[in-house]
Amino acid sequence: MNGAIVIIGLNHSTASVKVRERITFPGDEQGALTKMFAALPGVDEVVILSTCNRAEIMAVTDGSIETRDRIIRRMASIHKLEASELLGYLYVYTNVEAVEHLFSVTASLDSMVLGEPQILGQVKGAYRKASDAKTTGPILNRMLHRSFFTAKRVRTETDIGASAVSVACVAIDLAKKILGDLIDKWILLVGAGEMAELAARLLSNQVRKPLTVVNRTFENACCLAAQFSGQAMEIEHLQTALAQADVVVTSTSSCEPVVRADQMQKVMKLRKNRPIFFVDIAIPRDVAVDVNDIDNVYVYNIDDLQSVAAENLEDRRGEAKKAGVIIEEEVTKFIHWVDTLESTPTIISFLDKLESIRTREISRLNGKLSHLSTEQREAIEILTKAMINKIAHEPITFLKKNSVGGKSKEYLDVTQRLFCLENCPEVENSGDKVCKP
Amino acid sequence: MDLFFLKSAVIFYLLGSLGYLVFVLIPSRIKPLWGFMLTVAAFALHSLSILHRAIFSQYFPLTTLTDALSLFGWIVILLLLVMRHRDPSPIFGAIAAPMAAVLCGLAVAFSYRIAPPTAPVLRTWWLPMHVFLALVAYGFFALAAIAGMMYILQESFIKAKRLGPMYRLLPSLITLDDINRLAIPIGFFLHTVATVSGMLWAHRAWGAYWSWDPKEILTLVTWFLYAIVVYQRFRFGSRGRKAAIAALIGFALVIFTMIGVNLFLGGHHAGIGGTSFRGSGI
Repeated sequence: MNGAIVIIGLNHSTASVKVRERITFPGDEQGALTKMFAALPGVDEVVILSTCNRAEIMAVTDGSIETRDRIIRRMASIHKLEASELLGYLYVYTNVEAVEHLFSVTASLDSMVLGEPQILGQVKGAYRKASDAKTTGPILNRMLHRSFFTAKRVRTETDIGASAVSVACVAIDLAKKILGDLIDKWILLVGAGEMAELAARLLSNQVRKPLTVVNRTFENACCLAAQFSGQAMEIEHLQTALAQADVVVTSTSSCEPVVRADQMQKVMKLRKNRPIFFVDIAIPRDVAVDVNDIDNVYVYNIDDLQSVAAENLEDRRGEAKKAGVIIEEEVTKFIHWVDTLESTPTIISFLDKLESIRTREISRLNGKLSHLSTEQREAIEILTKAMINKIAHEPITFLKKNSVGGKSKEYLDVTQRLFCLENCPEVENSGDKVCKP
Repeated sequence: MDLFFLKSAVIFYLLGSLGYLVFVLIPSRIKPLWGFMLTVAAFALHSLSILHRAIFSQYFPLTTLTDALSLFGWIVILLLLVMRHRDPSPIFGAIAAPMAAVLCGLAVAFSYRIAPPTAPVLRTWWLPMHVFLALVAYGFFALAAIAGMMYILQESFIKAKRLGPMYRLLPSLITLDDINRLAIPIGFFLHTVATVSGMLWAHRAWGAYWSWDPKEILTLVTWFLYAIVVYQRFRFGSRGRKAAIAALIGFALVIFTMIGVNLFLGGHHAGIGGTSFRGSGI
């Protein structure tokens, strides 16, 4: 092919947070920067993807080194960096590698947290912005849609996103498996330190009921409770608080367990055995070990949660291998489609198509033409051939004339679709209506 | 011919169970929809079989053990289909489909006792009502037992802190306990009505409300067991694992009352193949 698909960018494995924080493409909210890149000489199509863990420019270019360098220099100047400085963090993928890279990114195989689900939405957002700015063309349109399709295949055909891999997600997932929907559940925080605050922040958007905070120093409990518009209670009322709560996060610095089994037995009577879930993130533990043995009481400490998260991550790695096969398949299909966009093959298949229509129609009439002489039949052959040549002449001249330049791919793509040349390709079957240009 | 539909239903239930089994063992290979669709096909055949029996015997098809087992399996699947609206988790199907397969399989195995009842005492509307209510009650007890089994499994995973693929597949503890909380009182109520209607019918047929035959004794034991379970929950909030175990024990008793008595013990419930000439088979 004449042009080349290029991806230039950096991610969490090539650049530190400090660098990533700087490369954010400021001012691209309305796609202004995307347009600027698209206007560079030699660049046909552009999509800019920028998340906290990656910054990438996807482009269809004329394939020259100069164009590539032009993009890198522009990328550096936007962020007030020297190109040579930036170069150290960058990776550059072209053609097959670029397609592979995008498909892996969208399917979350290249994410910092393997299999995390946000990246698909982020790529979709980036694509929408570029397509609003009209900087995408037939190749990137198709490539992005295929990447969404691939990501969905990976989601449904593998278990890559099935299990939680962070301690917080494991805890929330467990709480839901024990208590069902958390929205109407009571959360109790025992302890008011930094960890408690972190837990409060994570949990407060899961529930509607106000948080309750219990702490040895009542003032600290009040501070934290006020921050999340919850209520504070003194440590003496711990038992009352336990009788009400559904999820309890303990994080005190006490050396002795704060919740003991004998005390919990009593609480369970008060609760009429309603299930309760303890997340003990304190070291040493705040909840005595034997509390977990009581019926309808479930205790997970930080080590338990961590080992579950680690096991789940191991599962995900296994699933990522299966996903790799799917991606390979889809990349091959896409590259095949790109190859068909060359003008000569398109013209040939266009002529083949017309010729096959001609011969089919003549053979259908064979019975009715049987009384004709050989000469008359030849005349019909000549006539019909002349007709298709006349019909094909203008389109072929047009395609040849426009075989290089910005819109060539688009013309070829349209030709193929108009005449159903490539076995009527499943046009944009990614099923994503929002992102359609 | 009249067992053709039932036999086909058994085959489809078995295929459905197989579909679910493959799904449970290797979830990524097969969609649970396969098991479900096969089970629905089996259910359709099963319904045809019951309908056919009703027309064939010109009577509500409940008077032999075959019919009772078949209808019981049918109710279990019907409850599954209703349940699916509340919790679409495929795991219910994975348990209900094999259960229906076993029940219908037993029904086919007992089919040599297929003649409809001739005893005039059985030709009254009290009988179908009594049997039908009892079977629906058993259906609810079965549902509670299925949920109970899953509860015990899921709880043991969570308590032991081993959260594998089965943990992900099983519904939340609260959902399972809710099923127990609803199904047992409903089943208990229906069971009570069924017992009372049976007594009224017995009075009309034989002049005695209660005759202490083995099935009646076991029914009474079952009734007391479920009464205690219902009372415990409402009075003391007994729930979770204990309630799940109770549901399993109760259901084992139900199965024994239903099938065991006919095979090993006598009494006027033992049916046409049993020792008593006046039996109904239920």
